[in-house]
Amino acid sequence: HGDTNIHNNIISKFEFRHCKSFGNIFHHYYTHGTAPSCQQWKEDYKNCREWEKHQGIEAKEALQSSEMNRVAEQRKFTPVWTMRSNPPEDWNMPLNQETPRDS
Amino acid sequence: MDQTKQEGGYGYDLFPERSKRKYKEGSIAERLFTFNNKCQVMLQFAMETSPYAKLLLSAMKSSGCKILKDRHLSCEDCDGTVSGGFDAASSQIVLCQNNIHQQSHMNRVVTHELIHAFDHCRAHVDWFNNFRHLACSEIRAANLSGDCSFSQEAARLNFGLKQHHQECVRSRALRSILAVRKISREEAEKIVDEVFDTCFNDYAPFGRIPHSNRDAKFANRDYENRDRYYANL
Repeated sequence: HGDTNIHNNIISKFEFRHCKSFGNIFHHYYTHGTAPSCQQWKEDYKNCREWEKHQGIEAKEALQSSEMNRVAEQRKFTPVWTMRSNPPEDWNMPLNQETPRDS
Repeated sequence: MDQTKQEGGYGYDLFPERSKRKYKEGSIAERLFTFNNKCQVMLQFAMETSPYAKLLLSAMKSSGCKILKDRHLSCEDCDGTVSGGFDAASSQIVLCQNNIHQQSHMNRVVTHELIHAFDHCRAHVDWFNNFRHLACSEIRAANLSGDCSFSQEAARLNFGLKQHHQECVRSRALRSILAVRKISREEAEKIVDEVFDTCFNDYAPFGRIPHSNRDAKFANRDYENRDRYYANL
């Protein structure tokens, strides 16, 4: 558990620094036409350190809510296709280049 | 190989070796008269060293569609300037050995086609009948494979900065659709517009748009740690 938290600290610190870097700002502008907003990563790093030092419930909840928002952001668009519950049955079917298959 | 699909305007004419190879596979003639060997070597290198390709290979394995080089990847001669394709009917990625001559190009094509394969694996993609599905996968592939990076576009002499990435993704997706399906440009543009927001923002399995090998390496690391990450949530 302690290891995971140190790991999360490293990640949010890295993400904040990466967010602010010239390379990222350039690519964000190139992709979205705006500068990136890095405030959330800064908050996350702060909360991560807070949790590490004092195990405050508020810090933990803030972190969880931030991560859940990030995941929700990704999922807010209506999907174009339906997801499979199993991989395609014919994925490993042997190739038969001589005979045409019926559709 | 499905004959009806061959005749039906699904772009198979760009990949003549899908129905009949010119030289027998593995023959000396193939080695002497085609770029098959070079293609195989570059492909192997791409699979082992490109962080984009490695992440996609892991993701596919986790999704139950492990990629076996000999079964799912094929180096063939193709028509025109096409670099590669994904044949859903046979679950194979085609690499155009006569049109890919640089390792960096191979890396991008492998990534691009693996994204199609990944979509095929995780979703019910109706490649042949649903243009929205095709457009969506093409948007994702152009977006996430590095096809539209600043340096790639600059190399094509398409200099653009503000939001140029999106323009590039739209135009390359359009081009890919028009190459393999018989529809009008206007119709294709309309379809791309309809699905653009959803598909441009679908970063799976990368989690972010990788703009460089470094980004892709970090996306790979995030992907490897995702179980631990989701457990923490």
